[in-house]
Amino acid sequence: MSQTQALWWASESFWRKTAIWVTAGSFVVLIFLTFDTVKQITAGGKRVPAYATALNNRIDYVFDDKRNFQVPVIGPEEPLFGKKLTEAEAEALVSHGKLTTQAKNCMDCHTLLGNGAYFAPDLTKAWLDPAWGSKESREQSMVEFLMNPTDKLHNALGRRMPNLGITEEEAHATVAFLKWMSSIDTNGFPANFKPIDQADPEPAAEPVAETAAADPAADADPAQQ
Amino acid sequence: MAAIGLSPATLNGGQKLAMKYFTVAIALFGAQVLFGLLAGLQYIYPDFLYGILDFSVNRMLHINAMVVWLLFGFIGSVYWLLEDEAGVPIVGIGLANLIFWIFTLAVVVVVLVFLLVQVGPGEQSSIWLINEGREYIEAPRWADIGIVVCVLAFFYNVAGTFMKGKFTNIGGVLVMDLVALAGIYLAGMYYTPNISMDQHWWWWVIHLWVEATWEVLVGCLMAYGLIKTMGVRRKIVETWLYIEVALMFGSGILGLGHHYFWIGTPEYWFTIGGFFSALEPVPLVAMVVHAVFDAGHHKLKSTNNPALAWIIAQAFGNFLGAGVWGFMHTLPQINLYTHGTQWTASHGHLAFFGAYATMVIAFLYIALQKWRGDVYMSGNLMGAWKWKWAIFLLHAGMITMVMALLISGYEQSQIERAVEGSSWMGYFAAQGHRWFMQGMFWRQIGGWVFTAGFVLLAWDLMTIGKRETRPALQVQGE
Amino acid sequence: MLEPVKLANFFIVFFSAASVILFGASYALLFAWSRVKARPRLMPLAYAAYAGLFISVLTLAFAANLFHNGFWTFIVLLMLIGYLAAPHAIWHLCVGTHADEHEEGEGSPIKVYQQR
Repeated sequence: MSQTQALWWASESFWRKTAIWVTAGSFVVLIFLTFDTVKQITAGGKRVPAYATALNNRIDYVFDDKRNFQVPVIGPEEPLFGKKLTEAEAEALVSHGKLTTQAKNCMDCHTLLGNGAYFAPDLTKAWLDPAWGSKESREQSMVEFLMNPTDKLHNALGRRMPNLGITEEEAHATVAFLKWMSSIDTNGFPANFKPIDQADPEPAAEPVAETAAADPAADADPAQQ
Repeated sequence: MAAIGLSPATLNGGQKLAMKYFTVAIALFGAQVLFGLLAGLQYIYPDFLYGILDFSVNRMLHINAMVVWLLFGFIGSVYWLLEDEAGVPIVGIGLANLIFWIFTLAVVVVVLVFLLVQVGPGEQSSIWLINEGREYIEAPRWADIGIVVCVLAFFYNVAGTFMKGKFTNIGGVLVMDLVALAGIYLAGMYYTPNISMDQHWWWWVIHLWVEATWEVLVGCLMAYGLIKTMGVRRKIVETWLYIEVALMFGSGILGLGHHYFWIGTPEYWFTIGGFFSALEPVPLVAMVVHAVFDAGHHKLKSTNNPALAWIIAQAFGNFLGAGVWGFMHTLPQINLYTHGTQWTASHGHLAFFGAYATMVIAFLYIALQKWRGDVYMSGNLMGAWKWKWAIFLLHAGMITMVMALLISGYEQSQIERAVEGSSWMGYFAAQGHRWFMQGMFWRQIGGWVFTAGFVLLAWDLMTIGKRETRPALQVQGE
Repeated sequence: MLEPVKLANFFIVFFSAASVILFGASYALLFAWSRVKARPRLMPLAYAAYAGLFISVLTLAFAANLFHNGFWTFIVLLMLIGYLAAPHAIWHLCVGTHADEHEEGEGSPIKVYQQR
């Protein structure tokens, strides 16, 4: 027994105290970091833009040499659905979209910011996905796709999104949510993403059928399904 | 602890209640397997149950059944050991029984709503009544509140019983851990339109449950199990429980950092996540060394071979699933490409099964032995082929699934993530690749093997020791 | 500050990272075994496993571009030293926590599982 007492560092009481201190210490550090992180990821900051900033302007995703990965860039004014929103309106719209993604359980097929299920594509940059064809038809294509996905062309595998009863209003809101989500600084995730061409001079109205044939995701070509 | 099982057992109140929890746990384990099979089939036949039970529904039920059956298993296990540890009857056994029925009923209602209603309109009412739509914690808000109430009642019973009786070290750790478990769940119970904020707090629940508080809870169960089945001395077990808590929480709490790489959170999480990822193997090394040390210093004679086998399986499963599979893709330099691919699925399957399912099953065998009247469960057990084949089939199935998902994930991380940059086209290019398709095929095969193992396990649990007349071996020690 | 893994190095990263943990466990296992059974012949094997770990860590470090940055270099050093020391430290802890057991004079601790 005398030997046990000598080995203070192997005693139960020493390790009880250590366990308590280590846990408490880690937790305190976590709390401090949480305060800072929460501040930085509140909408309106540098990493997570204000809702109106994202919805009223073009969002791009370009390589930043200094940070060595792609970062979202707020571009010239380009209001979603052609309607400029105040911050309150924008937040309400994004919130409605976020609620829709929750109520429709998007996350159990898709990933959002890489988290969720793996049965369907990641939605982090869905707004910027080249699969929507052209910048001009994108908003409408997304709305139509969300509202009635079953007969749209998806892919060669036969995997399709089910009809989740998304109303037009919900579809608009969801598109707003997706546009806003694409403006979040995710430290370069996803890497090597090639966004849809959003350059200005491009005249509108590319023939839709052509893009649909090239891009599995583009809108409406039920014949191919 | 001298008289373990000297008298043929009559179960105490907590143990009777535990048997109810265990029954529901096994039923839910079955549900997890069933919906996993359905979801897996939908990768191979996309039109299978399309529009009726879509992948999202099956997958949601698959993962929620898992969370709930493990919780039921944990709660049952704690009720099982509670009176024995504290030395007094449970303070509110009536309340505990009532809560059991409420909890079970709530689970049934939630499952029915998931199955029959599935989705709702994009309004607050949907996340309150139907589906919160956040992976692992999809349960609607009313059920969240219900869970917290149930856990609080559970906590009252555990803390109250220990306070009235003997507050052992295992009891102390358990009570503190339950405080954390309930408290952390609250972080998952609020709505925000901000997806970064949402996922930031969501990880508090998921990570701090799975990689911290659950680990410690399992540590407590393991400590009790070691004393009961192998007669390891309480003092040593309890000292090691504290060592484990220190190592687990020391590496696990800030290990939260490795989930904060890509969700909008600041870059300093790379540093924290990287550092604690390097620390995470340390508790595992500690377990390896200590297990060898123990095995070498004790003349171990197990009183319950199936339980011991599952405890050993837990050690390996935890090491491979959490340790090897975790470390393979945890550094941000590679996680950039593996995040949100079948890699994660591979890791998740092995880690949940290896670290938690195994431990609950081990505990089921400990409980069943006593329930049958403290019967013999060591070598030359009647019908031992059943538990042995169950263990083999469950592991063979799991390893097949995990390897298949790993190969699919490897291909996905390359083609979809690195080359194609995670676009829609890139995603489907990777999903249609031969490696991926074959991976999904073999995963399904593994799923069927696992199912066979589950059926055998359930059968064994219902019958083991039924006709056994020899009394259990006694543990040496205190 | 972060340099993502090159496509060609994916497999090396997965493989070497898995090896780090597997060699680490083998090292810990052999080390403990050698000590507990008093078989010094096993000790060189334990250190051979550590050598494997050492090489795996360096391979991982090169493949994952960890040497391009001071912090990640520090992590590499931490792994190399920490994983070397951990089994020693844990061993002392085992001996320490089981101290009063030894006094009972358990005799030769060779038999591990005594099955009926």
